[in-house]
Amino acid sequence: METPQYVAARIQRALAEDERTNELGIRVDVRGDQVFLRGQVSCEERRHGIEDVAREAAPGLTVHNEVQLLEVSDPGEEEHL
Amino acid sequence: MRALRIAAVADIHLGEDIRGHYRKKLEGIEHRAEVLLVGGDLTRHGTIEEGQVVADELGDLPIPVVAVLGNHDYHSDADREIAAMLRDAGIIVLDDDAVVIPLDGTRLGVAGGKGFGGGFAGKCASEFGEPETKAFVRHTKDIAERWRHVLKNLDADHRVVLSHYSPVKDTLAGEPPEIYPFLGSYLLAEAADAEGADLIVHGHAHLGTEKGMTPGGIRVRNVALPVIGHSYVVYCLDGEGVH
Ligand SMILES: [Fe+2]
Ligand SMILES: [Fe+2]
Repeated sequence: METPQYVAARIQRALAEDERTNELGIRVDVRGDQVFLRGQVSCEERRHGIEDVAREAAPGLTVHNEVQLLEVSDPGEEEHL
Repeated sequence: MRALRIAAVADIHLGEDIRGHYRKKLEGIEHRAEVLLVGGDLTRHGTIEEGQVVADELGDLPIPVVAVLGNHDYHSDADREIAAMLRDAGIIVLDDDAVVIPLDGTRLGVAGGKGFGGGFAGKCASEFGEPETKAFVRHTKDIAERWRHVLKNLDADHRVVLSHYSPVKDTLAGEPPEIYPFLGSYLLAEAADAEGADLIVHGHAHLGTEKGMTPGGIRVRNVALPVIGHSYVVYCLDGEGVH
């Protein structure tokens, strides 16, 4: 079996370089044949894109998409500098 | 001289898939702030199409908008075209230069550009060895040199530096330390400390921390959208500017 560190590195690189994602801030952890994706993105479409690219980069492994949607709330209190 | 309220955000990473969403979040901004600063990574892939979404979302706001580009906005080699589209939409785009905006009798000077990496004092790359390494470090040095020159000649009541990359490591806390050299450079802080500024605003470090300070005592704020969790933050610069 391929070393998990290299699998994780390959998925992370694919997420950064693949045209469909270009996501640099996704954390990838590989444990045995399980892949865990974590991070935040702005919409459901981008969440799915990340999952697709990760699956293609790690055929045969089970991908758990734990990427969350970024919640953006209204501006809060102003800060005095 | 009076206080100024400055709205700031970075890393909005707009695209056709989220068109219209961010614009809604800007409704009423004119009641909260007098200017909006946007610290780069306006797009995801840096395409012309995404640039058009940014122009539509940030254009025609009731307050002036000043932006810089980020690394994502360079990805498709259309950075110049994107900057031109934004300018056509009335957005001020800084590229290692400055603008002075008169705001009801007070002059706000904003200087900056994309910035670049290289790392932080004692743990950074040097202009030594292979041409590729030298070119990387030289790029940051050239930028810092231009910022120093621009700041020296910037005559305004309040001075803010707008960047994409970070000038300090304080605001990177939360990012893996191994990638700090790709997130910013102390040379950017050194330029601002040499010439003086009231505030430095940046983005790029999505997992970082909002607040930090340069060795010379200039407040630094990482306003990357995932860091602030708000559509933008507002900083109020009080009456006495720093020079
Ligand atoms: Fe970003
Ligand atoms: Fe970035």
